[in-house]
Amino acid sequence: MSQFFNQYFNFNVMGEHFGEVFVGFLQNLLVFAVAAVIALLWGLALSLLRQLPGKRLMPIRFLTIAYIDIFRAVPILILILMISGGVPFLTFLPQSVRIPHWFGRPDPFWYGVAALVIVYGAFTAEVYRAGIEAIPRGQMEAARSLGMSHFEAMRHVVVPQAVTKIPAPMLNELISLLKDTTLVSVIALSEAVLVSREVLSERLNSSAMTLTAIFFLIIILPLARLVDKLIERNQLKIARGSHIEVA
Amino acid sequence: MAEPMVSLQDVHKSYGELEVLKGVNLDVAKGEVVCILGPSGSGKSTLLRCVNLLEPPEQGEIFLEGKDICKGPGSGTGESSWNIDFVRQRVGMVFQQFNLFPHKSVLDNVTLAPRTVLGKSRAECEEKAKALLERVGLGDKIDQYPERLSGGQQQRVAIARALAMEPHVMLFDEVTSALDPELVKEVLDTMRELASEGMTMLVVTHEMGFAKEVGDQVVFMDGGVIVEQGKPADVLDNPREERTKKFLGLVLER
Repeated sequence: MSQFFNQYFNFNVMGEHFGEVFVGFLQNLLVFAVAAVIALLWGLALSLLRQLPGKRLMPIRFLTIAYIDIFRAVPILILILMISGGVPFLTFLPQSVRIPHWFGRPDPFWYGVAALVIVYGAFTAEVYRAGIEAIPRGQMEAARSLGMSHFEAMRHVVVPQAVTKIPAPMLNELISLLKDTTLVSVIALSEAVLVSREVLSERLNSSAMTLTAIFFLIIILPLARLVDKLIERNQLKIARGSHIEVA
Repeated sequence: MAEPMVSLQDVHKSYGELEVLKGVNLDVAKGEVVCILGPSGSGKSTLLRCVNLLEPPEQGEIFLEGKDICKGPGSGTGESSWNIDFVRQRVGMVFQQFNLFPHKSVLDNVTLAPRTVLGKSRAECEEKAKALLERVGLGDKIDQYPERLSGGQQQRVAIARALAMEPHVMLFDEVTSALDPELVKEVLDTMRELASEGMTMLVVTHEMGFAKEVGDQVVFMDGGVIVEQGKPADVLDNPREERTKKFLGLVLER
């Protein structure tokens, strides 16, 4: 038993490597923050493209649905490896895109962000869609009958209501996104998991990895509780009959 | 005779296999109030929704102020085009379920469309919205949110919201059907006042009293066609068609 504790919960190892692991974890948070902001916008854009009206815009809707389906199905790890292992060789792209070092971040950072945005854009688009489809048709019709264009109605009437209905499922996506930032370790971004693996191979001890897991727990557990609270609040509202939300 | 404000000629509309309108002809003169009666599924709501192109008809013509609104780019597709702008800025609509914007205050409900569509300033829109809300008897509710209002109040806000776009024609789609009985009168009174000011109105309703008193013309629809039309006194008191008699019998029996 003590062997088990020594392997996973050696406080000396944790203490000695706390600094590196912590800096690595900050890298995870940074990847998360950048990817989350872009994915939330990209997902909204996708969900709006998917809702475009009329026969003429069918091809756009079709392409959007295809995108969403495909990238919800492709494992992020594959995408990360395909981007980092392929984009640098696409010489028709400018150097600053092939090997991006924007804002002083190394290229693996941006390859990781790109892969996460591509996939989580598809997932968040589905969450937005649920929110948009929860808004009664009459809202769009009322806005349109007042002369607003489809886009104006979406912007001023439908989307502002839709986003108030989806915080819980959206938070779940964000939790999942935060966890998936660890995948970027495979392309040598020194985030927490990569740092912990280096400690593991150097000292044959997993405690740094445990420490990384604890960092994730500390951030995510309160968020998971918050999701529960939001769902609970939502159910209360439904019970009162004033709102229908997407849980 | 002067050119009709709204003129429908042989209007057809189907949802898949189901033909809801099977060739409807109707002229509405400027300032006229036309009340449309009929059993549910008779196509009367669809008729209204065709007039403002929420449901573009597949066949036939609709003229608004002499202009054929079913022709032109994007017609029949439900997409925005010049004729949709032309129509929606001239035709206001009030719905059975009010459809107020729940995330906006009463005042913002009324000002949203003029501000975004017509690009008018906030101050100008608010001043006008306050006057309109005053007119429908809700001058003291401008900062409330719709869920705090009764159904009758919400419906009056919906009327003010439609009027804020200065429509030439107003469509009312069973606007009192979702209301508690004691709230119906306040909405009908607002509509009565609007009619007396000369607004051209197409009113789908089950309120026989309103149709009789305010309607210039009553139209009875069944099965996607107009069965009978004429002066309220003629259609309501001395219906010629069997179907009209039967329907009125059922409604008045209530």
